[in-house]
Amino acid sequence: MAHLELRGVEKRFGAVRAVDGLAFAVPEGSIFGLLGPNGAGKTTTIRMIMRIVLPDAGEILLDGKPIDDTTRERIGYLPEERGLYRKMKVLEHLVFLGEVRGLARQEAERRAASWLSRLGLEGKAQAKVETLSKGMQQKVQFAAALIHDPPLVILDEPFTGLDPIATRQFKDEMLALRARGVTVLFSTHVLPQAEELCDAFCLINRGRAVFAGPAQELASRYGTPQLRVVTANGAALPAPLPGVAKVQQGQGAYLLELSGELPLPEVIRQLVQRVEVMAVEPHQPNLEEIFLRAVAEDSGEGRHVSLA
Amino acid sequence: MFRWHKALIVTRREYVTRIRTKAFWISTLAVPFLMVVFTVGPALLMARAGGEFHVGVLTADGELFAAALRNLEKLQQQREQDNLKLTLERLVPQGNPSSQREELKQQVLAKRFAAVVVVPETLEGEVRLEYLSTNVTAFRLMATVDRLFDRTIRELRLQRAGVGPEVQQKALAPVELVPLKVEKGGAEKKEAGASTFFTAYLLMFIVWFTVMMYGMQVMRGVLEEKSSRIVEVIVANLTPLELMFGKILGVGAVGLTQYAIWLVLAMHAALAGPIQALAGAAEVIANPLLMGSFLAFYVLGYFLYGSLYAAIGAAFSSEEEAQQIQNVAGWIMALPFVFMMVIMNDPDAPVAVAVSLVPFFAPMLFFLRMVLHTPPGWQIALCFALLLATTYWVVRLAAAVYRVGILSYGARPTLRQLWAWAKGR
Repeated sequence: MAHLELRGVEKRFGAVRAVDGLAFAVPEGSIFGLLGPNGAGKTTTIRMIMRIVLPDAGEILLDGKPIDDTTRERIGYLPEERGLYRKMKVLEHLVFLGEVRGLARQEAERRAASWLSRLGLEGKAQAKVETLSKGMQQKVQFAAALIHDPPLVILDEPFTGLDPIATRQFKDEMLALRARGVTVLFSTHVLPQAEELCDAFCLINRGRAVFAGPAQELASRYGTPQLRVVTANGAALPAPLPGVAKVQQGQGAYLLELSGELPLPEVIRQLVQRVEVMAVEPHQPNLEEIFLRAVAEDSGEGRHVSLA
Repeated sequence: MFRWHKALIVTRREYVTRIRTKAFWISTLAVPFLMVVFTVGPALLMARAGGEFHVGVLTADGELFAAALRNLEKLQQQREQDNLKLTLERLVPQGNPSSQREELKQQVLAKRFAAVVVVPETLEGEVRLEYLSTNVTAFRLMATVDRLFDRTIRELRLQRAGVGPEVQQKALAPVELVPLKVEKGGAEKKEAGASTFFTAYLLMFIVWFTVMMYGMQVMRGVLEEKSSRIVEVIVANLTPLELMFGKILGVGAVGLTQYAIWLVLAMHAALAGPIQALAGAAEVIANPLLMGSFLAFYVLGYFLYGSLYAAIGAAFSSEEEAQQIQNVAGWIMALPFVFMMVIMNDPDAPVAVAVSLVPFFAPMLFFLRMVLHTPPGWQIALCFALLLATTYWVVRLAAAVYRVGILSYGARPTLRQLWAWAKGR
């Protein structure tokens, strides 16, 4: 059963449809990426899951039941903006949030201290939040979201403002959460991060899901087979080529998008008859390429956009 | 469902973080300090308003001047410790009065005289002495000059009417008004009118000031939580109502702590030295009815205004946006000062009773009446009943606005929207 499921969720702000019939399911114990360009509706979606705003239509199910104020307490949440009291001391702040989330004071203190040392912030326990760098505040937020050991964690743009070391640290923590059976949903517009972590995705554009499902499915759906071809001395490819829908020139090589009319070996045979080829290999488009293509298709701006 | 233990976690956070701030200790210590400055300061300055003053007396009447000198000597003998000394110099009127007056004015400006007193030619009827000086707010000097010439001229009039010195003495013996406050049970209490006034004013001001200050702090706290999105993080685990009440209680407890500190300081000060205003305050502290209602008025007034301010904070996204409506609340809170004089003048006048019963003013004005003299029991009961009912009602409305407002951002809500929020979704 899906840990979290959205069905036909809609949210309008005035005339703007921020989220428009969004549906996806987050499998239990997975890392799920909510991906999309800026303004696609990622944060609104997350705020609806957290019941900060209520959807105008549709259903949000947690463990198969519509989410309510009580079940919401089982979610750990890291908002996009820094949701911390600036004047509070770091340790005290974590203890406060732990207590609010139902931990006894002593237990909250124990966990807060252990999280601080785990994230390398032991020395900052008595520092005021406002004296911390952006990245350090993000770590405190991260600990705050996890202090009560929630079975589902929702992180809104968790990597913004982090240096590469901290980014790695966050990724490791997310993988560790998955290893413990915790479900993680996070949003990002930086796709390589998602590619590395996610078991499943939802690509959202203009408030609608362009794709939702497991990572492999995404690759097979949008990843139409491509061939990377290097010609002798960079000789030009003759056109048209049988079985090839489109040719793109890449760095020292050509990227051939296949039309699927001919089987792959036949395409290669036809190719080598026409031009002197140094190398041919199958090419798997990465998430960024797929995403750009999917968004372009969805936005109706023609079938292809160039990959800068 | 309202969970007290959750609200109290918020209360403790508010209390602990606020009590640790420098601002709390500065305001806690600044208020008694300012009180001492305002009460003892003027008295000290007055006492220092002494010195030697040379006063010119323009009169054709040599006898009058001689009598004035005699009376001055007597007066200064009577008040030997007094540090205000006068010397008089006679100025004889000359042919051209207007050019002489100009000349004297020049001398006043040149500080040759602290003042010049112009005595009219005739002492019949009402006598108007002109007092020419660069400073007409030197009240002690003017009072001394006034007293001196008042006595001298009366004496002279009697003398010239052929009244003997003995009868003169009798006729000129002073008359003084002694205010005695009659209290319940028939006790008479001698007190300086200024002291009651001052105590009443001071205590009313403290209620006003603390309710206002802590109300604003609630608003700022709510705005901070809203703009930093802290509320989004904790609202998953706390209902908005728990958050609002926890905050109001925490900030209010800070206020009570401040009161406790002031109380201890005031008691020490009252024991240490007879400071007039504090002696009055000590009397209030010793009176359980007044002390009890002082605290009750603070608590109720604070809840009334605190919840209003919380709702304002929740309805807007920044202090600038909240400014206008916050000013309205501020004006409502300033009105008691307008009505204060009416009440001071006659605490039992129908108008005074009416305004003091208005719940939004009662914490200040009804309390003022109680300090001045105890109103009838039914009025006290009515006042608290109205105040309690209004507070309950306002807190409910504020909570409804808060619940919706705390999570809405963007465009400033219209009054119609606020009203819709208050009525519930």
